[in-house]
Amino acid sequence: MQQYSVRELHLTFTQGRWEYDKWGYPLSSSAGTGVELWAWLWKNENLDDNWKSLTNALSGLFCASLNFIDETKTVQPQLSFRPEGPYNDTELYDSAELRTGSLPHENVCTENLTPWIKLLPCKSTAGIASLVNGHELYNSNFHSMSINVRPVCQDSECTHQQLEILQTLSTVINPVRNKGVRDWSLSELYNRKILRVCPLANESNLLLIIPEEGDFEIIPEADQVIKGETINQNIAIYDLKKDPHNLQLSMKWNETQFTYDNQVILPQVFAHRYFSGYGEERGGIKVNIFNKSPDLTIPIIYYDVIPWYLKLYLHTLKVRINGVEVNSKSKDYPIKDLYYQPAMDRSRPAVIEALIHLPSNSITTLSILFDKVFLKYTEHPPDANRGFDVGSAVITVVSNKKDNDDGEKTEEYGFKIESPIRIYTETLLVSLPTPDFSMPYNVITLTCTVLALFFGSMFNLLTRQFVGLLTLNDEKINEEKQDGNKDVDRRNEEAEK
Amino acid sequence: MSTAIETSIRRRDLVFGIAFITRLLLFQFSEVTDILASRVEVVTPITSFTRLTEGLYLFQNGVPPYDGGVFHQAPLLLAFFQPLSYLPDQFTSLIYILIDLLLAYLLSQISRIKQQLYKDLPRVDDIELIDDNKNEEEESSWVVAGLYLFNPFTIATCLSKSTITFTNLSIALGTFYSLKGNKIHGCFWIAMATYLSFYPLMLIIPITMLLVNSGKIMSRTPPQQESFSSSSSKSITISKKIEIAQCIILYIGWLAVLLLLSFILVESWDFLEATYGVILLLPDLTPNIGGIMAVFKSYPSIGDASFYLGFLPIYSEIVKYMRYNFFTTNIFLYSSLLAPIFYHLWIYAGSGNANFFYAITLVYSVGNIILLVDATFAMLRREFDVWNPKLRYCEVTQR
Repeated sequence: MQQYSVRELHLTFTQGRWEYDKWGYPLSSSAGTGVELWAWLWKNENLDDNWKSLTNALSGLFCASLNFIDETKTVQPQLSFRPEGPYNDTELYDSAELRTGSLPHENVCTENLTPWIKLLPCKSTAGIASLVNGHELYNSNFHSMSINVRPVCQDSECTHQQLEILQTLSTVINPVRNKGVRDWSLSELYNRKILRVCPLANESNLLLIIPEEGDFEIIPEADQVIKGETINQNIAIYDLKKDPHNLQLSMKWNETQFTYDNQVILPQVFAHRYFSGYGEERGGIKVNIFNKSPDLTIPIIYYDVIPWYLKLYLHTLKVRINGVEVNSKSKDYPIKDLYYQPAMDRSRPAVIEALIHLPSNSITTLSILFDKVFLKYTEHPPDANRGFDVGSAVITVVSNKKDNDDGEKTEEYGFKIESPIRIYTETLLVSLPTPDFSMPYNVITLTCTVLALFFGSMFNLLTRQFVGLLTLNDEKINEEKQDGNKDVDRRNEEAEK
Repeated sequence: MSTAIETSIRRRDLVFGIAFITRLLLFQFSEVTDILASRVEVVTPITSFTRLTEGLYLFQNGVPPYDGGVFHQAPLLLAFFQPLSYLPDQFTSLIYILIDLLLAYLLSQISRIKQQLYKDLPRVDDIELIDDNKNEEEESSWVVAGLYLFNPFTIATCLSKSTITFTNLSIALGTFYSLKGNKIHGCFWIAMATYLSFYPLMLIIPITMLLVNSGKIMSRTPPQQESFSSSSSKSITISKKIEIAQCIILYIGWLAVLLLLSFILVESWDFLEATYGVILLLPDLTPNIGGIMAVFKSYPSIGDASFYLGFLPIYSEIVKYMRYNFFTTNIFLYSSLLAPIFYHLWIYAGSGNANFFYAITLVYSVGNIILLVDATFAMLRREFDVWNPKLRYCEVTQR
C-alpha cells in the first residue's frame, strides 16, 4: 500500500451472478462476475506507474491475471466508487485519484482462494474460516471473495488514521437442490467443522438470519436473538468465544418437502442488461432498471464501461420509462447528469456514468447502439469465436442517509452493510466479426497479383510505342479504300478495333 | 436551329428534374436510406453520416469530438451541419440532392469548356465530326450530366448522405474554376478537397498545369511552327515559374486558412490526427470495397468510382477506342450485385467467411484497373491515329 501510494483498495473475485430479483441484496460487498479492482491512489507524478505496479503486484499475490488491467481497461469513474474510509471532498479530490478495472472473463479458483486465506491471522485452521473448503465453495451457486483496505479514524478529530483490512467471503449454497428440503447443518454445507476459535480474534460471532415465525428448530439454541433489519426477521447470534468446541449448528424444518414461494420481498432496485440486434456488424445494449418502490423516486448512478471494440453512438441513447420514450428535453427526463468518455481505439474504453432518478414503481430502459469493430487478426484471442466479455454495469443507489448512523450500528456485529448499495448487472458476451485466420496468405498473393497486373500493363502502355505494321496487302487495301472513300466502312472497321 | 437548342435545353431540364424527383422520392423511404447509410460499400469510417451525427452530438454537448475513436471527419463539416441539426431532416436530404445536381451541372459545364478547348486540336477527322454546331455541344453536355445523375453508384452515395459528396463537389468546382483560369477559386476548392479528404493533395499538380496554361491547352503543333525567339521563350518560362509559384502559394494559403478556422472551431489540433492520421495509418479496419485500391487510397467507396465515372463521358472520343467496355461493365455489375450478398454471408449468415467479401472486392478492383488501363490505352491509341492518319487502316502494334 505504501510503496504504490495507495489510499484505499478494493479487490473482489466473483464466480456466478448474484440474482438480485430472487435473493435480495447481498449482505457483504459483491461484484460482477470475474475480478474487479478499484483503488484510490495518492496523487503524484508516478500515479499511473503506481497503478500498473499495483495491478502487477496483486496479480502475483493472488495468482490472477490482474496484470491484464492495462490502459484499455482502466477507468476513472467520476461519480461511482466513492471511498469507504473517512474523507472530505475537497481534500480527497486534491490529493487522490480513483482507478478501476475489471476482468469479466477471469475464472476464480483455488489458486486465488489460498492467498486470500493466507491473509487471515489463523489461516483456515481456526474460527469461522475453518469452514472454508474449496470443494464445497466452488460447488456453490455463487461465491465472491473480497479484500477491502481502507483508512479508519483513530480518534474523533481523525488526526490519526489506521489501515483496516476487511476480508469477506460470500457464497450461496442451496440445500434444497440436493435434498429437496431446506434442512441444513454446517457440517453438511461445508463438510468441515469449527473446532477452535482463533486466539487472535477479539470477537468471533456467527450470525443466523431466521424468520420470526415458522415451524423449525435450530440446534443448539442461540446465545442471543435480536430483531432483524427488515420485518419478519430475527438474527440469532452465536458467540464462538464462549463455546468454541465443536459447534454442530443445524436447522430442521417440520416438513417433508419444500417448494419456493414466489412472494419473496424483492429488492427495490435491480437491473438486467442485454444485447439487442443480430449479426456481427452492429448491435445495441439495453438495460432495464427496475424500481419496485411504490412511492419513492430513487436516485441512482448508472456506470457502464464498454470496451473500445464496441463503438458507441451516444446520439442513439434513448430512455424509455415503462415502454414510453422520454424526450431529453422533457421535464421528466430521468437522466439528470451524464458523464461520457468516448472510447479511443486500442487505448481506452468508453465510459457512461449517469445520475438517473428512477420514478416510483417503474421500469427505466436505456438503450444505445454500437458498431462492432473489426480487429486486427493478431488482436483476437486464441478462441476467437468464443467472443469477448463485457463487464457488468454498476448501479449505485445514492442513499440519502448519513453514512455514520447506518454504518456504525451494523458494524458491531462483525459485518457491515455497505452504505452505498451497489447492484451489478450481468456480464455480456459479444461475438465480433472474425477473419479467416489463414487469410494473410490469400490476401498477400492475390493482391500482389492484381497489383502486378496494374503496374505491368500500365508500364507496358507508357513505355512502348505504337507502330503500324505495313504489309503489301495492307497498302493495297489502304489505297482501295482511300479511292473508294467509304466512310461507313472505315467507321465500322474502327469500331471493331 | 434555335428550336433545336431549346429542345436540348428542355431535355436538360428534364434530366435534372427527373433526377431531383427520383432522389426526393427515394429519400422518403427511410428503410432504403438507412440500409445504404450502413453499407460498407457505400460509406466508410471517414465518410459515414452516422459518425458525423455522433461527432456533431458530442460537439454540441461539450465533449471534444476528436477525443475518441468514432469521428474522423473535418471540423468545418461540423460547422456546416450544426445549423442543419436544428432543422428537420428533409433539409439535409435536400442539400445532398442539390449538391448532386450542382455536381452534374458542373460536369456538363466542364464538358462544354473541354469541347471549346479541343475545337482547334487535331483530331481523327472522319470519326470525330467537327461540330461547330451549338446544339450538338449542348446535347452532349446534358448527356454527361445525365450519365452522372443516373449512375446507380451516384444515387446510392447521395441517399447514404456520405460526406464524400462534399469532396467530390470541391474537386469538380476546383476543376471548373481552373478551366476558367480563375486561380483564386481553383486553388481554394482544391485546398478544400484536400482539407476534406487529404488525397486530392495530388490534384494540385494537374490543377497548376491547367491554371498556368490559363485554360489554353498547348496546341501540339509540330515544332517547326513554333517561332519563338530564344529571349521571348525565356521570359515566358520565367513568367510561368511565377505563375506556378502563385498557384502553390494560393493553395497552401487557403489550406492554412481552412486549418486555422478548424482550430478556432474545435480549439485543439487533435483533429489533425483524428482525420489525416486515420486516413494515412488506417487504424479502423472496417472492411471496404478497397481490397487493393487501398494501395492508392485508403477507405475507398463507390462514391469515388461514381465521380470518376462521371468524368469518363466527357472524353467520349476516348471511349470509342476502349476495348473492354462490355467486360468492365459486367465486372462492375456483378461485383455490385455479389458484394452485398457475400458480405451478408460473412457477417450475418455466418455461412461464409471473410474471404468471400475479400474476393469480390478484388474483382471490383480488377474492374477499376482494367477500366483505367483501357482508358490509357485508348488515349494513346487515339493519339497515334491523330498523328499518323496514313496508318489508320493498318494493323498497329506496340514495340
